[in-house]
Amino acid sequence: MKTETAIIAKDISKTFHISEDSHNTVKHRLFNLFNPPKRKDIPALKLTSLEIQRGECIGLIGRNGCGKTTLTKVLAGVYPTDTGYIKINGSTMLMNLGVGMSHELTARENIYVSGSVLGLKIKEVDKLFDEIVEFAEIRNFVDTKVKFFSSGMMARLAFSIAVKAGADIMFLDEIFSVGDMKFREKAVKIFESSWIQGKTVILVSHGMEVIKKYCNRSAFMKNGEIDFFGDTEKAIELYTADNQ
Amino acid sequence: MLLKILNDWFKSSNKVERLWLLAKIEFKLRYYENKLGLLWALIKPLMDIVIYYVVFQIIMQQNVPAFASYLFIGLILWNFFVESTTGTIQILNTKKYLYEYSNMNKMEIYVSTLLSNSIGFFFNFMMFLIFYNFFEKESTGLSVQNFWILAIFLNLFILSLGMSLILSTIYIIAKDITQVWMVFISFLFFLSPIFYKLSTFQQRLPHFDYGNPMAGIIINARSVMMEQMPPDFQLMGFDYAYATILLLLGIIFLNRLGSKAAEKL
Repeated sequence: MKTETAIIAKDISKTFHISEDSHNTVKHRLFNLFNPPKRKDIPALKLTSLEIQRGECIGLIGRNGCGKTTLTKVLAGVYPTDTGYIKINGSTMLMNLGVGMSHELTARENIYVSGSVLGLKIKEVDKLFDEIVEFAEIRNFVDTKVKFFSSGMMARLAFSIAVKAGADIMFLDEIFSVGDMKFREKAVKIFESSWIQGKTVILVSHGMEVIKKYCNRSAFMKNGEIDFFGDTEKAIELYTADNQ
Repeated sequence: MLLKILNDWFKSSNKVERLWLLAKIEFKLRYYENKLGLLWALIKPLMDIVIYYVVFQIIMQQNVPAFASYLFIGLILWNFFVESTTGTIQILNTKKYLYEYSNMNKMEIYVSTLLSNSIGFFFNFMMFLIFYNFFEKESTGLSVQNFWILAIFLNLFILSLGMSLILSTIYIIAKDITQVWMVFISFLFFLSPIFYKLSTFQQRLPHFDYGNPMAGIIINARSVMMEQMPPDFQLMGFDYAYATILLLLGIIFLNRLGSKAAEKL
């Protein structure tokens, strides 16, 4: 089978400029024309290049604040990169606990909107709709606004949409902490059986068992840089050493 | 050949479906959430008409023929413009959930919101047609020229989209654009021939109908809907040029500033 690349990133980097005043207004800009606010530059991601093949499951590990989230957001096309370029083949979805849902919409509307954003046609969402609702265990709350959901229900719904509708490239940020034990078991099962095949997955986790189990390649990040990218065992070794 | 490509594109892409889905949900959110529902969309222009009618026809005695209809068509076009610009300044903030977790094209968010406003405009326009043809005493009835309204509305749509893109992307770096625009738009409101007699407007502010893109749209809409005349093509050309330039500017702004929305807002 021919392998295609899902993401090519060449020399990407990201620096956040944080100014001390949080109010950005025309008035403020005019009055402080010759007195620019003090800015702090935070290099969240230093020059990095990587290539991810379609169908791969990549692990992304590193200590807190090492730039994992920034890297996933840049790779998903949510943040623009400062340097270099990124080529993304397909739709992407970033998933963490409170994923892409409008609190003003009902669960039904959110399923349709998310499904559509992920590239499905309305008819395809129609077919998946019941599966999503059953999987999320929210049958009685289909027409309730999501803002009235408990955080567990919300996370389950988001997870179910992602599992059933899924984008071409999924970025999963600590998703195995969703729901109670029963739901988690179900989630892991579906993840193993169908999802992991065919989709490109970038798994962010502090749980080394999960990374070891699913990823054949992993990236270990340190201080905004990819310190190592390759064999998962080696990456985990480095991560463990870093935590000592 | 071109048709085939377009047809294939429509079939394989869910873009059109998605735009319509988002527009419908937006429309529902706006009007079905409150008690009076869709009625609001219809009551609001009627209330405005009553106010301006009392002021300009009864108190100030402007003597414009068919003044209620004259106001009606002017106000619904103006309201579309206001809703699509003032109403969308914070769109990148309120619709963050759509682009924060995926690589969805932001332009779709704008187009769907304006489509939702267009549904509202459509209802208002139907009301206008009913009012003008059945209740207006000085009505001249329907005519073939009425179809020009489609071109005029397209012009308004492009103009509003351009302004909306510019304002909402500036909002990312300067939050008080909201207040600045509020002042500007109320100024523009009084400088548009919405409730003035057209001849007075053109006499006092010569050539201003060419300087204000909304003025031309309103003047032409009245020509084709109420006077059974074709639009003033020169004026229309000017207004299309304004709209196109603003849209291009808006697209540049969206690419430059809009891409930073996820991290700045």
